[in-house]
Amino acid sequence: MNSPRSQAIERGAGGAPVRDWAQFKAILRKDLIRELRTRDMIVSMILFVLLAMVIFHYAFSVKEGVDLTYFTGGMLWVTFIFAMLLGLNRSFAQEKDEHCLDGLLLCPVDRVTIFLAKTVGNLVFLLIIQAVAVPVFTLFFIERSYLGDMLPFLVVLLLADAGICALGTLLATISMNTRSRDLLLPILFLPLIVPVLIAATGATTLIFAEGAGLGGLLARLLFLLGFDAVFLVAAWGTYDFAIGE
Amino acid sequence: MRKLVSAPALFIEAGAFLIVGLMLAFWYAPTDSSSMGFSQKIFYYHVPIAETALVAFGIAFVAAIAYLRTQDLKWDRLSYVSVRLGLLFSILVMLTGMIWGKAAWDTWWAWEPRLTTFLLVCFLYAAYWVLRSVVDEEQRRATYAAVFAIIAFIDVPITFFATRFLPEGLHPVVISVGGTGMEGSMFVSFFISMIGMTLLLVGLTRRDLAIENLKDRVTDLKTSLGG
Repeated sequence: MNSPRSQAIERGAGGAPVRDWAQFKAILRKDLIRELRTRDMIVSMILFVLLAMVIFHYAFSVKEGVDLTYFTGGMLWVTFIFAMLLGLNRSFAQEKDEHCLDGLLLCPVDRVTIFLAKTVGNLVFLLIIQAVAVPVFTLFFIERSYLGDMLPFLVVLLLADAGICALGTLLATISMNTRSRDLLLPILFLPLIVPVLIAATGATTLIFAEGAGLGGLLARLLFLLGFDAVFLVAAWGTYDFAIGE
Repeated sequence: MRKLVSAPALFIEAGAFLIVGLMLAFWYAPTDSSSMGFSQKIFYYHVPIAETALVAFGIAFVAAIAYLRTQDLKWDRLSYVSVRLGLLFSILVMLTGMIWGKAAWDTWWAWEPRLTTFLLVCFLYAAYWVLRSVVDEEQRRATYAAVFAIIAFIDVPITFFATRFLPEGLHPVVISVGGTGMEGSMFVSFFISMIGMTLLLVGLTRRDLAIENLKDRVTDLKTSLGG
């Protein structure tokens, strides 16, 4: 009865964190490997983000000499949030279509571990996309150099991404189990993500347009951190129910 | 049957309070001396409706938690009914808010933090309805709806807080009205309207719960008849 497997089965709610960590890594690795082999999610998301920038350029070119600087934060985050919607739908559609999720649920894995692994997986994908998109976006739209504000920019990016991915993963889990699937996710996700959009857009625009240190952005950063914490805890408490039996 | 009988009594009480509140608002409470003037009278309806909407969503939140803990469908029914009424009251908040906005600021729509938050609340709980409509299995529908009701209720104050990061609106005047600077006679009128609106919510909740229970019984009977 001392084999790792039976230990995992017998483990109660307060079981070994080492096992959770190993399971977390296994699920995350599975998601990353699957994506690296097929690349269908990342490639579409990057193309979507780049296309969105071009579309924004056309949509906002209404008058010569109009300064778009104060719209850049909004453009960036709207693009990322919509790209994430695409990615979330994709990542769970694969799980559902091939019945991977059923297999995963049959394993003696804590549901919260599945949630955390899925969230971090989505976060990694979003960061990869941003690594490509942000330099291009800067080239296209930002005239001021914000290299000096790189640290606050990265902190904003990480904090907002964490919130988007945590909430997105929870809601995508719910929506994929419904009849309308990917149609439902934006309706659930967009109204809930507005606080992140407000704080992240404000902070990013400040950095792009005027430059702001960590101190100047403190209120927004703390707000984003609070949002992440609240929804991580909320998702922690409800994911068991969201993912089903 | 008892529940069906008690709801009308509540409606009569609610109606009495609301009418008395309205009469007091116009004849007893003084006309606001600050910039709002006569249009401030809608405050006696607008704010109680807003608070009742939030109370309804609060009930939905608590009932959702109770459902997840007990898996008893009666909590799901309460949560569902409360969201439906909360949504109705939220739409009324938007409408009365727009009337007030037209009178006070001469515009039907301003991106004022409270109004904007309520607009988002309407979208949120409309999404709750859509979510319910696309899940067929009863237990599963109740579970997802409960999870969403919890998340949505947590999100509302956060969204309102986030609107502070937005640039200052054109109409800061509204904040002084929402403050505590109320005279005694104003407060009495307001308080009576508040009680009336809350009683209305309780009455409507009871009636809707009775209807939902009847619906369930009809479904059960149909199933037992093999239909």
